[in-house]
Amino acid sequence: MRLDSAVILAAGEGTRLRPLTKHRPKPLLPAANRPILSYVLDALIDAGVDDLHLVVGYQRDRVQDHVGPTYRGRTVTYHVQEKQLGTGHAVLQARDAIDADFLVVNGDEVVTAGMVEAVMDAHSATDAATLGIVESDRAAEYGAVSLDGDRIVELVERPDDGSYRLLNAGIYACGPSLLADIESTERRAGERYLTDAIADQIRAGNAVRGVRIEGLWSSATYPWDLLTVARDLLAAGLVGEPERSRGVYVDETASVHADATLRAPVVVGPDAVVGPGAVVGPDTALGRNVTVESGAIVDGSVLDIDTRIGANATVVDAVTGQGVTVGPGATIPGGEADVRVGTTIHEGRRLGCIAADRATIGGGAAVGPGTLIGPDASVETGAYADGVVPEGAEVRR
Amino acid sequence: MCGIIGYVGDADETLSVLLDGLSNLEYRGYDSAGVAVGGDGLRVEKRAGQLDALQTALDGEMGDAIDGPVGVAHTRWSTHGPPTDANAHPHTDETGRVAVVHNGIIENYRELRDELEAEGVAFTSETDTEVVPHLVARELRAGRDPEAAVRAATERLAGSYALAVVVAGTDALFAVRHDSPLVLGVGEGESFVASDVPAFLEHTRDVVYLDDDEFVRLDAGGWTVTDADGDEVDKDVRTVEWEAEQTGKSGYDHYMLKEIHEQPVSLRQCISGRVDELDGRITVEELDDVGSPETVQFVACGTSYHAALYGAQLLRAAGVSANAYYAHEYATAPAPVSGDDLVVGITQSGETADTLSALREASGRGAETLALTNVVGSTAARESDHVLYIRAGPEIGVAATKTFSSQLVGLNLLTTYLTDGGADRRLVDELRGVASDVQAVLDESAAADVVEAFVDADAFFFLGRGLDYPVALEGALKFKEITYEHAEGFAAGELKHGPLALVTADTPVFAVVTGEGEAARKTIGNVKEVEARDAPVVVVTDGVAEAGRYADHVLDIPATDERLAPLLANVQLQLVAYHMAAELGRSIDKPRNLAKSVTVE
Repeated sequence: MRLDSAVILAAGEGTRLRPLTKHRPKPLLPAANRPILSYVLDALIDAGVDDLHLVVGYQRDRVQDHVGPTYRGRTVTYHVQEKQLGTGHAVLQARDAIDADFLVVNGDEVVTAGMVEAVMDAHSATDAATLGIVESDRAAEYGAVSLDGDRIVELVERPDDGSYRLLNAGIYACGPSLLADIESTERRAGERYLTDAIADQIRAGNAVRGVRIEGLWSSATYPWDLLTVARDLLAAGLVGEPERSRGVYVDETASVHADATLRAPVVVGPDAVVGPGAVVGPDTALGRNVTVESGAIVDGSVLDIDTRIGANATVVDAVTGQGVTVGPGATIPGGEADVRVGTTIHEGRRLGCIAADRATIGGGAAVGPGTLIGPDASVETGAYADGVVPEGAEVRR
Repeated sequence: MCGIIGYVGDADETLSVLLDGLSNLEYRGYDSAGVAVGGDGLRVEKRAGQLDALQTALDGEMGDAIDGPVGVAHTRWSTHGPPTDANAHPHTDETGRVAVVHNGIIENYRELRDELEAEGVAFTSETDTEVVPHLVARELRAGRDPEAAVRAATERLAGSYALAVVVAGTDALFAVRHDSPLVLGVGEGESFVASDVPAFLEHTRDVVYLDDDEFVRLDAGGWTVTDADGDEVDKDVRTVEWEAEQTGKSGYDHYMLKEIHEQPVSLRQCISGRVDELDGRITVEELDDVGSPETVQFVACGTSYHAALYGAQLLRAAGVSANAYYAHEYATAPAPVSGDDLVVGITQSGETADTLSALREASGRGAETLALTNVVGSTAARESDHVLYIRAGPEIGVAATKTFSSQLVGLNLLTTYLTDGGADRRLVDELRGVASDVQAVLDESAAADVVEAFVDADAFFFLGRGLDYPVALEGALKFKEITYEHAEGFAAGELKHGPLALVTADTPVFAVVTGEGEAARKTIGNVKEVEARDAPVVVVTDGVAEAGRYADHVLDIPATDERLAPLLANVQLQLVAYHMAAELGRSIDKPRNLAKSVTVE
């Protein structure tokens, strides 16, 4: 059935993506060179959903600044989730605006319009809920499901069991009664989850439909996943900029010097500048107003808005936040490393570095593989940084 | 200081189009509002107070739907007579056959009123506008058709006006402008007139900018523009780039905070295509034929005047003789000017009456004129020899924020272009980084915490020197506009020549200290002077001169070019004003007694 309204969950920080989420929630992290949330909103609008309800919370200013009062001419209603008490609690923030079957979509996972349409098509008024299901070898890292025909028989959050191949793509069509069901769902550690409410429905014998959907589904759990998301989008050509030559996407307002080299797949955003002799790509996304000065090499990286890469610097497998500065001749050579996130060590990750908003890496500095540089931190000229550099810290020679 | 809108189209839509339009024009004034819907008959509703009062009055008439294919509406900011139901527009004649909305001032209304009263016409309001419907009614009684009657009435008027008129029994709307803004919106099967584009932006982006003394007739067949002699004028229909979506609050409590947060985006927009990173040059096509003026005079009011002071300093520092004048003073007591001089009018709306007068005065005496404005097709833009748009997007909050920042960037573009032909590598680099620097201030500002200590303060002083001086003035203006607390900005060096007498332990002092030069060192000396009088000191600084050591509170800004540091400091002061006003529970987007664009002198 056709659904008019969608509740988009955009209130969560995404703590495992720190330090990139210091000043913005996960939905605003870059998928190639646009925020993840832009892909979600485009998918909904292209699927014919016109009534958009954004649940915002953590650093909500950034979502509001980016999306504005309407998106592509459709009114956006904001619902503030003051405390992030679970996905179910988030959906409930919009309950007064909902009186018919509706969609719930995660704001922090890239989906396509075709996937949204498939879920709507499969959903009928007799279903308590319908979930979009994608096949993935990463099912165990997300919400995994078991299907019996078109019925979901089991929903498991991050099972430590590699046998699951199907994952919940975060696109839900819900009957209006699900709102009351969420309210009566038991809290876990004080939080209410949408998936728990749906699991309750399965247990109660109500119809919860699963529909296998095809299309690009891409999500980031850890900061280095943003490199994969960008690679997925570039490989599928899902970027907004015009294609200048095969796999080379350049915005009309960008300036690329005649002596620069763009290696496909690569996207260069609005007002971005690539200087003479620079080599950018493959698998690289330059956000709005990014500058790559002469002779610099940027490979396999995602550079967010206003980032500046100095002359002759080398940046491989890196993710930068907004307004990051890499000085002339600095080196981020890339490669595999053990990366520490919280208390967990992730071994053998391919990651040059993560540099959060407005971090500075001085001229001639070197940054070891897997380094996480916090917001406003600086690596001084000629210094070497490795491991974790906390927010505002200085690394000296 | 008022906003008008008129509509001809679908009878069932008229009222809602007009009310939506008024809500989009509310920034132009909001002490009363009203609508008139015509067709076979004519229905008028008007109320003193904000738009809600009118809405409530209309809601009270449910079941008695107001519909008709033509209508006008008005939101008012009082110039003649206090805000009352009777003084609210639309105004009508004695029989209720003619309804008029008006923006501007009818200067000869007193003699017209005397003349009409002598003929026995009874007036019901104290407004200048009410003479218009009575004049139209008199012409109708003399046997003229409605269009001829409106034309004849208009010929009697002196002063400034944008008028929209409906006459019962006529499915047409008549509008005319003279020295007050009026734009025509062209839709499918419907057309609009309004003081400003946002009034009808959700219905159409195709607009016709009307020139002085042009007369418009809107009816079911479309629109016709004629000149004062009645000859048809061929007008271009232009498409505005603004999106209707840019005029909602997007989840913020106030437009002002939304607009403060839009600054990174609006600043990137301002420089897009104008800074050439590869060549290290500023390139602004609009300025190509400006030449090299002997002297530059800036004319502006309010916030724009502070931008003018900043611009004049930039030019002087670059070796060009330049001065800033209040436009209203300039129009009265102009500075000497010749054909070798450039007079720059800074006006966000492009409709500020004082600034338009000053530009006309300068133009009349042979000077070249340039408008620095935000509104494409505005009067200032059309009347000046050159125009530089700041591209900040619509600004609805009465307190100007993002447009001031974009004005400062525009003035840097202008200065560099006039003096160095645009070659300034450092400025190019720093301009491309300014949006990120503003984002840093927004992300990390301590302003909300700092102001909490000052809710009971007696008065607030703002100090700055050099390019920080205009920022001190602007910080104080923003503060007084929306907090209603007494605030004053001083040149830091002037402190001990008088103002220091006002400084006590209950008067917080905000000092803007950027860069490391002589100016910063001297301002730090002034900071010590106020500290010695026990005043709480807040320093807004890039940290270069270590001014924070002498302050009770510090509001940090990123280090940047000395020309752009004042812009960042001002963002901190915007947040100071906003958070203090929020703390005090003030009406932030609609401060009492103020209107966004002051379109009367």
